[in-house]
Order: sequence, then structure tokens, then C-alpha cells
Amino acid sequence: MRSISRAVLRPYVCPSCRHFGAGRRRFSSKLASPELYDVVCVGGGPAGLGLLAALRANSVTSKLKVALVETQDLRKAQSWNLEPTQFSNRVSSLTPSSVSFLRSIGAYNHLDVTRVQDYHDMQVWDGQTGSRISFDWSMETSPFEDMRTVATMTENANLVRALLRRITESGDENLTLFSNSTVASINNGSDLQPEGPDLSAWPVLSVKPTDPASTTPPKQIAARLLVGADGINSPVRSFADIPTHGWDYGRHGIVATLALDNPATPPFPASMRTAYQRFLPALGGPIALLPLPNNHATLVWSTTPEHAAYLKSLPTKSFLAMVNAAFRLDMTDLTYMMGMDTPSTTTPSDSSHEDELTWRIKHTPIPAHIPPPALAVQEGTVASFPLRFRHAAQYITPRVALVGDAAHVIHPLAGQGLNLGLADVACLARTIQYAVSHGMDVGDLLSLERYSSERYLPNAKIGGACDLLHKMYTVPGSGPVAWARSLGLETIQRLPFVKGFLMKNAEGY
Amino acid sequence: MASLRARTTPLRALCSLQPLKRTTPLKPTLTTRSNIQSVTLPTRNHSTSSVSADELSHFSALASSWWDPMGPSRILHLMNPLRHEFIASCLAEGSTETTPSPSNPNSATFNYLDVGCGGGIFAESLARTIPLDANGPAPTPTRAASMTAIDPSTNLIQMAREHARMDPTVDAHLRSGKFKYLNTTLEDVLASTSPSTTTPASTITTATPQFDIVTLFEVLEHIDPKTSSPLTFLTNCLRALKPGGWLIGSTISRTLPSFILNQVIAEAPWPIGVVPRGTHEWSKFVNPPEVKGWLQEGLMRAADTGVSRGGASVAEDMSWKCVGAIYVPGLGWKMVPGSEDWGNYFWAVRKGF
Repeated sequence: MRSISRAVLRPYVCPSCRHFGAGRRRFSSKLASPELYDVVCVGGGPAGLGLLAALRANSVTSKLKVALVETQDLRKAQSWNLEPTQFSNRVSSLTPSSVSFLRSIGAYNHLDVTRVQDYHDMQVWDGQTGSRISFDWSMETSPFEDMRTVATMTENANLVRALLRRITESGDENLTLFSNSTVASINNGSDLQPEGPDLSAWPVLSVKPTDPASTTPPKQIAARLLVGADGINSPVRSFADIPTHGWDYGRHGIVATLALDNPATPPFPASMRTAYQRFLPALGGPIALLPLPNNHATLVWSTTPEHAAYLKSLPTKSFLAMVNAAFRLDMTDLTYMMGMDTPSTTTPSDSSHEDELTWRIKHTPIPAHIPPPALAVQEGTVASFPLRFRHAAQYITPRVALVGDAAHVIHPLAGQGLNLGLADVACLARTIQYAVSHGMDVGDLLSLERYSSERYLPNAKIGGACDLLHKMYTVPGSGPVAWARSLGLETIQRLPFVKGFLMKNAEGY
Repeated sequence: MASLRARTTPLRALCSLQPLKRTTPLKPTLTTRSNIQSVTLPTRNHSTSSVSADELSHFSALASSWWDPMGPSRILHLMNPLRHEFIASCLAEGSTETTPSPSNPNSATFNYLDVGCGGGIFAESLARTIPLDANGPAPTPTRAASMTAIDPSTNLIQMAREHARMDPTVDAHLRSGKFKYLNTTLEDVLASTSPSTTTPASTITTATPQFDIVTLFEVLEHIDPKTSSPLTFLTNCLRALKPGGWLIGSTISRTLPSFILNQVIAEAPWPIGVVPRGTHEWSKFVNPPEVKGWLQEGLMRAADTGVSRGGASVAEDMSWKCVGAIYVPGLGWKMVPGSEDWGNYFWAVRKGF
């Protein structure tokens, strides 16, 4: 939180040029030597903070001088708090390997576990054909073992707060957090000959406060390694001139925090929780309900922008009726209900959607494993975001590495986006550790290529698999594609070793 | 032992050996050759130099691509982390410290000498591990306090210095003198440590040893045993060592698997080969027993003083380490114990107290 002082910089500057830097600033601020950092991370989301926490937690890399630049207020993020019955609508599912990474860097025990929910089974079925697959570890574990977690649901804010607490816990030596700050520009440095080093190949960032009224002059910081954890429109990626390829899905994801009814049959064992995902080919994507504590759940519904706009315009009761219908009714009924008139705001008691659901449900065979009905929507949590696919052409250039969404954005249907980002930073932290312990320059391509070669293919594989699933499950009707995907699902369901292999793959990344 | 002790050549003549580090020219041989011919050789006039002009020009011409991670020296760059690991494994067995200081067992106290540093691939990476705070703990098990890197090529030393400036940490060490690039020879380094500046080379045995670790990476295989003597050269390396210090190097063995790997496969045309044709001369390769023999003899000679000769006991209990290293395309270099005869291998010898 505090800006670095010259005292911290001292060990990095040879005695003969300590005075020089200060002296030259008087003549020209442009030529002033920038402050030197080993790792500068742009972006304080889970990926960027995860990298910083991982570097601080390892004895080899904890001495590195690191900085993080974030446009939001990190102090606010660290003191984030919500009522126990309220949940943020930005929720992620952590795979067991992400959880073990967070444990290994000492961040997991800073999570508020009362706001975190494991689930042990995932029911996935096709709304068109009814074929179903159940992802749990029962085929891998003996009945006497504890239930194995498929994934862990956590609010992003809870995770970010935990990572910030972990970073704060590591002390403020060699650490600078530029909060409420934005990167005004990134340029190559200059040769400080004859008194100083040649920084012409080092990226130099100009960091200024986001508040336009602020009079604080921009700070110049030079990075041995500049990490872009700055999201889909990454400025670091633009600086490094790395092209990115991809497409927009023409779909929006609707999120909301819901309160669920008690399940009709209590779960056994009592702590067992299930996530549900139903593919709705006629509506353009799957609807998923992922468990949160105290019988809450988070909704992710991928659908066309028109349907998304329609759903967001509905009053709460109608919205809930649509969500419950989406897990129960067949495609024809759902398509009809999507076309119903929006109840006007003047008659909020209009219950046409609910009546329609009640009537149609009587005439629909309901499958065994469906989520309990949603009873309420937490106010202000219904939101939507566009679904996109992006993959950077490369993750590294000299002195630059991209992680998380800056490197890849994928379809959320498998809930893997954040996990890929955490796997990136876990790998990059290992790469930096190897480089430091072998005398390598952490910004050198020879150091960074270990990161890139380990992560590029797995990310492409998971992103591609999600894309393929999306494309297979958006073909409406009961043609050959529907038949093929049902056959595939049934086959996987009946072959435990294939399912185990797929789940291990999903868990690993 | 007795036969090893037979001294047939005057020491002064043997001292003239200049080791050369040779890497792989990436460009096709034709281009490289033509480059070489056009280069004028800024070679320093060494006191005891017998540096071969065409070897020197060959490496000088490579200077510009030395630090290109995808360039001709890529395979050397990839090997560099293994050198750190091998040194760490040697130091784990013992060092010049008779009793490790209990207060700070991991302090950076070792002075390194890198002979034949070339463009500084190893020297710069080791210099980066020297802590800026001299009292602080060493960041790596190599525990370097200083690094002196020497090479006979003026061009390469110049280029190595230029490259070092691009890292502020290494630049700071260069300025403070903890890290030195010297365009000189081993013999000159030894002579400079002796009390009298006019000491002739033949009496350099009186020089005070000053280094804890002397490194000799990819140097031995570029010495022609017909015209110069690895024995004298290695003896001088040992003389530079403090008692208990390590002489550590890597080279290539002269065996049939090594011939197939290094001459047939590695120097095959792209995309199979990873080393340009003509990089190595198989006849110059050195087998581990040869190195070990030279070192045994060298240890005894290094123990000689002006008035007395070191006994065979010096060599009898020498600590000798040797482990093979194999380059697997796509996976990189791997240490494979027992593969010493297949090609590349690391070796180390520790000087007794």
C-alpha cells in the first residue's frame, strides 16, 4: 500500500549512481532513471494477486522486488464484507488442483469458509434428448472413504480478499501495491550510460492514479518481468504486440444469486451437494445451478442476447418461473414461454409465467435428478456478460508474460476460466523460482519458455473442448448431432474409466 | 602413479596453452566461414599466448549471436542450469570452508574463476546470484561472493561486458568489482597473484591460490592434444584453487556412441541437427579416465613448491565426481548417471587440504 522509498531501491543501485539518479531528475524528469522491479504485475484480479501471493510464499522468490498495479481500490477489496445470507453474483468453481495451489501458497486459510461450498456430484443432462451424465468420484473411491469434492464454489471477492490478506501477511518489504492506479503508458527504457545500466530492453511503465483530480505525478517503474494479468483487453498484451485470435459466441451469460427450496429428499450423506447443468439447445446454451452455502445457489445461464434481455426485463416472480421451467420443461414449452409478453411493471402481481409453468409441469415427465425449485432472487444480482473465446498467439515475449484472461478467454460452460488462470500463475511462479535458483534472468525468454511450453497446450485443449461442447449443444432439434451427442454422453456414463479420465483431466487444469 | 609423474616437457613451454571455448555457429558453415575471413582479429598480445588465430576469429565472428536464445548458442544456454546444479551437488560434499560458520551457514563466501568464459553465459548467470547485500544470505546453493571470468578473445569479452550492462544487478556487480571480465589468460591471472610482478611464468607455482571454485565448461574438448597439453593447463587450474576448493568442468567423451550422437546426429542438417556442421572435432574429445588421469597428475604438480615436490598421496584420495548429461530434443538437458561415455559429461575434482 505504501509507495516505495529510495531506501528500498538502494540495494539495486550501485553506490556510484545512487546520487546520480536524484541529481539528474532536476534537469529532466524524462531522463530520470525509473525504479527497478523484478516482477511488475498489471491487474489485481485472482490471477495477478495469486502470482504475487505465490512469489511471496516461496523462500526462493520472496526476496524479489515486486509490484502490482490495479485500477480498483485494493483496500476496499481487502475489507470486503457481506451478510452471511447475501452472496455476490461473481462466483467461480475451483477445481481440487486450484484449491491445493491456494493451500500451498497459504492463501486458502484466509478464505471465509462459511461462504465457500464444496460439491461432490454434478448432474449434466441434455434438455433435447434427456441423456444424462453424472460427474462424481464414486467410481474412483471406495465407499468407506470420504466424499471426494468435484469442485469448490467461492465468490471471487472472497478469493481476492484471501489473496490480499496473504500478501499483506508476507510484510511490505520489497512489495509495492499501486492501488487505484492505472498504467498510462508502457515504453522501452533507455540506456543510462555511462553511469547506469542499459535499460533499453526493459519495459518502463508510467503509473498514475485513476482519480483525474489527483495531482500526484506519474511514477516510472521498470520491470525485469512484466506480467499481464489485465484481462481480455490487456494493455500489456498490446505493448508486447501479441495478437489474439478468437470470436464472440453471440451469447450472453446471465448470473444471479438464488435461494432454493429444501430438497425433496434430503441429501445423503447430509453434507453432500450437487451442481446441475442442463443443456438447452433450442435456447442457445446451458443453464447451470451451482450450490452456495445455506441452500443458496448461483445461476449461470448462457443464452442468446435477445433471450438474455428478455429474462433480465422480467419481474422477479416471472424470472424465477423461467429458471425453474428451464430445468424441467421440454424445449417446445420453454421456447413458448420465452415468447410470452413481459408482464408490465404496473401489474407486478401478474403471474402468467408462474401459471404457465404450473400448468405445463403437470404434463411433463420430470427426471429424477433436478435441483430444488428456486424460491427467491437476491436483489440486484441479476446481471449478464457477453461470452467470448480468445487465445493469444503467444504467452511470452522478452520481459513480458501473459496470464489468465489476458492470455485466454473461454466459454464458461465447464467453469474452467479462473482455474486455467490459477494454473497459469502456479506455473509462472514455478518458472520464476527455477530461474532465480539457477541464476537465470526471470525476464529472459530462456526462463519464460518453460512457462509457455507448459501452459499453452493445456489451455488450448480445455478452451477447445468447451468450444466443442458449446457447438454440439447448440444444434437444436433431434437430428444426427443430437443423436451423436446422446450416444457420446451415454457411452461416457457407462464406461467408468473414460469418465474418470475426463474428470481427472478437468481436475488437473 | 610413477609413470604419471614423468615430466618430459619444460613447464614454461606447457604454459602456453590457451583454452578456447567453442560454440555452435547457427548460420550455415559457408556464411560463417566467409565472415571469419573478413574479420580482423583484435587479439591481445598475451605474455604466453599460443592462441590459434583461426579458432579465435571463429568465435569472435560469433559474438553478435552469442546471446540470442534461439541462436547458435541455444544448446549451451539450455545446458547452463545444469552447471549450477552440478556445482551445488559438489559444494554439498564439502568446500574450502574447514568449519562452516555456525552463525551464517549459507552466506555467500565463494570466489569463482570461470576459465574460457566466452560470451559469459555461465559467468553472467553466476554473477546474478551474488547478493547485493554482502552480509545477506546467498540466494542459491552456489553461494557466490565474486566471479572472475577470463577469455582470450577481445571481441567476446567486449560483447560479454555489453550484455552484462543490460541487467542492473549484474551491472552493479561489474561496477563494484565483484564481477570481472578479463581479457587475459589463466597464466596471467596466476602470475598477477604472485608477490613479484616480474615473476617469470615458470615460477608461478609460488602464486597464492585465491579461488574457491574454478570452472572449465566446454573448454577441454577444444584443446588439441597434439599441439598443447591439457595436463599443464589443468595443473594451472588446480594451482588457482584454495585447498578444499573444486575444479569443475564439462566436456565430451571420445567414444562410438558419442561419435554417432555428436558428429552424425547433432551435426546433421536441419531439422535433425541441433549443432552446425564442423562445430566439434571428434579427435579432440576427451574421455573421463583421461581427465581423471590428468587431474591426478595435476594435483601432485600443483602441490609442488619451489623446493619440494608434492607426493603421490595428494592424488590418492582425490574426490572425483563424474556424471553424464544428455540432450533430449523437446525435453532439454538431463543428468543421466552412467551416460558419461555417450557424449557430454560433467566432472569435478576437489583439491585436498
